[in-house]
Amino acid sequence: MKPAPTLLSSAFLQPAGQALPEPLLALRRQRGAALVDMPLPTRKTENWKYSSKYLKLTDEIAGSLPATGKTGSALAVPGYKVVFINGVMVPEASEYPDLNDILIQRFGDLSEAEANELAERLDSTLDTRTVQFAGLNSARFEDGLLIRLKPNAVLDKPLFIIHEVTASTSGSAFPRVFVDAGRNSQITLVEEYFSSGQEAALVNTVTEFNLADGANVTNIRLNMDGENVQHIGATGVRQQRNSRFESHCMGFGGPLRRHDLQVWLEGEGAECKLNGVVVTQGSQHYDNHTTIEHVAAHCNSEETYRNIAADKSHAVFNGRIHIHKDAQKSNANMNNKNLLLSTGAEIDTKPELEIYADDVKCAHGATIGQLDEESLFYLVSRGIGRREANVLLTMAFINELVAQIPVDAVKDTMQTRLNQFFDQAFQEV
Amino acid sequence: MLSIKNLHASVEGNEILKGINLEIKAGEVHAIMGPNGSGKSTLAQVLAGNEAFEVTAGEVTLNGDNLMEKATEDRAREGVFLAFQYPVEIPGVSNLQFMRTAVNAMRHHRGEPEMNAAEFMKLAREVSKQVDLDPAFLKRGVNEGFSGGEKKRNEIMQALLLQPKLAILDETDSGLDIDALKVVADGVNALRSEDRAILMVTHYQRLLDHIVPDHVHVLADGKIVKSGGRELALELEERGYAWLGIREDDVAASSAN
Ligand SMILES: Nc1ncnc2c1ncn2[C@@H]1O[C@H](COP(=O)(O)OP(=O)(O)OP(=O)(O)O)[C@@H](O)[C@H]1O
Ligand SMILES: [Mg+2]
Repeated sequence: MKPAPTLLSSAFLQPAGQALPEPLLALRRQRGAALVDMPLPTRKTENWKYSSKYLKLTDEIAGSLPATGKTGSALAVPGYKVVFINGVMVPEASEYPDLNDILIQRFGDLSEAEANELAERLDSTLDTRTVQFAGLNSARFEDGLLIRLKPNAVLDKPLFIIHEVTASTSGSAFPRVFVDAGRNSQITLVEEYFSSGQEAALVNTVTEFNLADGANVTNIRLNMDGENVQHIGATGVRQQRNSRFESHCMGFGGPLRRHDLQVWLEGEGAECKLNGVVVTQGSQHYDNHTTIEHVAAHCNSEETYRNIAADKSHAVFNGRIHIHKDAQKSNANMNNKNLLLSTGAEIDTKPELEIYADDVKCAHGATIGQLDEESLFYLVSRGIGRREANVLLTMAFINELVAQIPVDAVKDTMQTRLNQFFDQAFQEV
Repeated sequence: MLSIKNLHASVEGNEILKGINLEIKAGEVHAIMGPNGSGKSTLAQVLAGNEAFEVTAGEVTLNGDNLMEKATEDRAREGVFLAFQYPVEIPGVSNLQFMRTAVNAMRHHRGEPEMNAAEFMKLAREVSKQVDLDPAFLKRGVNEGFSGGEKKRNEIMQALLLQPKLAILDETDSGLDIDALKVVADGVNALRSEDRAILMVTHYQRLLDHIVPDHVHVLADGKIVKSGGRELALELEERGYAWLGIREDDVAASSAN
C-alpha cells in the first residue's frame, strides 16, 4: 500500500484581499476548492524529483504578506514602470502611459465584463497538471496586471513590472500578470522579482502571454529574490501565426527557485527564442523547467540555457520539446551548457524530446564542464589575480547570453550583479 | 638576472628536464634550440609556473629571489613573461578586456593608478599598430579564431604592453610569413634593453638573422648539451643535430616538423 501523500496545508487555501471584481473572486474560490487534495511533490514526482527536498511550505509562510511597504527597485528603469508589493499594485509608485491602443490595468480596476472575460482566460496558457503551483496562484492572487495591446500597437519603451516581496515578516505573495498582445503589436516587458527583509517567505507567480498573429513580445525575467524567499514561478505563452516571443530569464539561486516556462507554438510561422542564465552558490538551488509545444507546422524554437553552480549549490535544467504530429517542418534547437565551479556542486540536466512529426529538424545538446585550467594559467601568467581570472572565465561562459539582453540598463545591471556574485563565489580562491 | 641550477622537472611521473643549468644576465638575449620533444616548452612553462609540471630538484632565482616558490601571477608581476608556443583561445573574454585587466594588475602591483577604458584603448591601439594587428582584433575573444601568425603577434603585443624583465618567447617565430617575422622581430628588438633579458626558443636561424643572440644553447633530452655564440646557430642550420651525438629518433622527429 502506498503511503498517503502529504497534502498542501489548508493554511495555504485562505486567500486575503477581497478588492477584486466578483468573477475573479469566484475563480479564486473555484481554484482553491480544486487544491484541497493537492499532494505536495516528492522526489517520486517526476518534474520535482531534484527539487522537492528544497520545498518548505510550512504554515508559518502560508498567510498573505501585507500589501504595504517601501518600494525600491534594484534596477535603473529606463521606461515605464508598474510597482507591486507582495502582489498588490502600488499606483503612487507606478508610471505608465494612458493610451488608447495599449491598456494597462490592475485586476482590481476591471469592470465586471472585463473581469468575466479575464477569468475565462486565466491559466489558459499553462498545463496546470505539470505546473502544479499555477493553481495555487490562481487560488490566492489579490491583484494583478492586465496588459492589452490592440492590433498594431507598439509600446515605445520597455515596461518594467517591479515585484517586491517584503519579507520583514513571514508570509506569501502571489504576483499575477496577463498580457494580451493583438495582431502585429509589440511590447518589451521586464519583470523584476526581488525581496526586502530576511524572514522566510514564498513568492508564487504566474505570468501569461497571448500573442496574436504577427505579435512581437520580448520578456526579460529577473529572479533576484531574497535569501530566505522560496520562489515558484510560471510563465505561459500562446503564440499564433508569425508571432515572435523572446525571453531572457536571469536567475540567481535561493533556498528554492523554480521557474516553469511553457510555450505553445500554435500558428504557422511562429517563433520563440528562449535564453536563460542561472547562477547558484553556497547551498542555493535553482530549477528551470521549460516546455516548447510545437503544435503547428513551420515553427521555430531556439533555446539556450546556461547554469553555473558553485560551492554546494544545485542547479536543474529540464528542457522538453514536444513536436505534435501535424507540426511538419518544425525547427527546434535546444542547447544547455553547465559549469561546475566546485566538486561539491550539483547540476542535473535533462533534455526531453517527444517527436511525432516526421519532417522536422531538431537538435539538442547538453554539457557539464569545469573551468579550463589552461585558460586560467594563461590569464594568471599575465599577472591577473587568480580570483579575478576565475571571475573573467566564469563570466565568459555566459557573456554571450548577457550581451543579448535587449535593454541596455538591464544588461549593465546584470553584468555588475553577476560579477559581484562570482567575486563572492571565488573569495577563497 | 635569471639563474637556473640543476633544474629537474617531470610530468605525470616522466622526467622531462634532467638538470638544466643556465645563467642569463640583464641585457642579454639567449636562444634555445633543440629537437622536438627535448623539453624546450617544458622549461618555458616551468619558469612561468605551470603547475602541470612538477619541479623535482634544482633552483631558479630571478634577481636573487627564489622564483619557484612564487605563484604564477606573482612571477608575472615580478616581470616574468611567457609568449606561449600555443596561445589558448578564450571565447567570451575580449582581448581588450583581458589586456587591460593584465596591465592594471601590473600597475596595481607597482602602486600606480589603474588605466581607465579610454586611456587603455589609446595605448592598445598604438601597440597593436606596432605589431601590425588590426585594432578590430581587440574586440574579439582572446585569440579566438586568430590565425597562427595573429596569435604570435598578439603574444608580442602583450609583451610590449606588460614590459617584462624576463621575456621567454616559445617559438614566437613559428608559422610566420616573412613580413610577420619581421614585425615580430622588430617587436622583440624593441623589447631589448639593458635591464631586460630575453630567452628565445626557436628552430630557425632565420629569426636569429633579425634578433642577434648573445648566446645559443642546444637542449636535448632535458639537458643543455652545447652552448656557444651566434655562430652555433649557423652551424646547427648547416649540420643538424647529429654531430652533437643526439639520438637519431630525436633528429628524425625534429626534421619531420
Ligand atoms: N602535459 C604533458 N603530459 C605528458 N607529456 C608531456 C606533457 N607536456 C609535455 N610532455 C612531454 O614532454 C616532452 C617535452 O615536451 P616539450 O613540449 O617541452 O618539447 P619541445 O622541446 O618544446 O618540443 P617542440 O619543439 O616540438 O615544441 C615531450 O615528450 C612531451 O610529449
Ligand atoms: Mg615546444
